[in-house]
Amino acid sequence: MKLLLGLAIGMAFGAILQLGGASSYRKIMGALLLKDMAIIKLILTGIAVATVGVYALDLLDLANLSIKPTYLAGIGIAGLIFGVGFAVSGYCPGTCVAAAGEGKVDALFTILGGLVGAGLYAIMYPMFKGLISHSNYGQITFADVFGVDPLWLAVPFSAILLLLSFKLLKDNY
Amino acid sequence: MNQEPVLSWKVAGIALGLLMILATAVAKPLGVSTAYVNTDAMVTHTIAPDKAEANEYLSKYGEKNSWSIDYGWMLVIGIFFGAVVSSVVTKRFRARQNPSVPDMWQQNFGSSSQKRWLHAFVGGVLLLFGARLAGGCTSGHMMSGISQLTVGSFVFGIAIFASGIATAKYLYRGKKL
Repeated sequence: MKLLLGLAIGMAFGAILQLGGASSYRKIMGALLLKDMAIIKLILTGIAVATVGVYALDLLDLANLSIKPTYLAGIGIAGLIFGVGFAVSGYCPGTCVAAAGEGKVDALFTILGGLVGAGLYAIMYPMFKGLISHSNYGQITFADVFGVDPLWLAVPFSAILLLLSFKLLKDNY
Repeated sequence: MNQEPVLSWKVAGIALGLLMILATAVAKPLGVSTAYVNTDAMVTHTIAPDKAEANEYLSKYGEKNSWSIDYGWMLVIGIFFGAVVSSVVTKRFRARQNPSVPDMWQQNFGSSSQKRWLHAFVGGVLLLFGARLAGGCTSGHMMSGISQLTVGSFVFGIAIFASGIATAKYLYRGKKL
C-alpha cells in the first residue's frame, strides 16, 4: 500500500516536472545562466505554497516533518560539488529521471552517473564523517534560531518568494 | 516545434507546492537522492551480500528496508512513469532533433552523442556525490528542506546556485544564446 502511494505521488511529481519544463536542458541552463527565470520562479512558487501549507498542517498536527541536520561546512562543500554537476549535466537527481521518461537518452547517463556517485560516496563515507560532525548544529530550523512559532516566519517568507516570482524576477535575454 | 513547456511556471509551481503539502500529510516530504543509495545497496547485496553488509553507508540504508524497495524508491520509479505519461499525452516524447543531445547543447558543442553522454554521466556522479554528502538533493534539501525552514537547506540552496551559475557561465563563455 505504502509502495503504491509512493508510485502515485512520484507519478504526479514526474508529470509536474515534465509539464513545467523542469526536465528540459534548455530551461535548466537558462536558469543557471540567469537568462530564463521560469524554473527559478517555478521552484520559488512551489516552496512558497509548501512552506505555509506544511506549517498550517503542522498546526493541526497532520504534517510528517523531516528536518535534516545542519552541518554547515559539509553541506556547503556538498552544495558546491552538486552545483558543478547540475551545470555540467543540466539535470538534477529527480529531473534526470523525468527527462529519461520523456525519451531523453542523455538523461539515462546522468542516472547511471548518479548510481556511481552514490556508490563512490558509500565507499568514501568513513573519510567524510569528520566533515559531517564539523559545525553540526543538528536538526535546526530558522524558527528554532529565532525562537518563534514557525508560521510567523512561514507567512512573510512565502510572501517574499511570491513577490520575487510574480513581480521582481524577469527574463534577461 | 514549440519548445515552451506545456504548463506555465505559475501553474506548475502551485501544483508542485500542493503536491509537497500532500506528500508531507500522507507520508513524508518529497526526496529523491536516497533512492540512488537504495539501488546501489540492493544491487550490491544481490551480487555480494557480505560486501554490502560490511559497508557502513550501504547497510545504514539497506537494512532499514531489508535490502529491498521502499516508498522512496517507488516514488522515483513514479517520476519516470509520470513523465512517460505526460510527455506522450502532450506529444512531447523525444521532442528534440537528436534524443541524445539537447538542441541548445548541439548549437554550442556539436552533435556528438558520446561527448554529451560523457558530460551527462560526469555531471550525474557529481550530483549524487554532493547530494549524499549533504543528505539530500534539489528536492529533499532545497524544496522540502527550505519549505520546512531548515537552516542547512538554505546553505545548500545558496551553494548549488553559486557553483551552478559559475560553472554554467564558464561552460557557455563566449557562446551566443
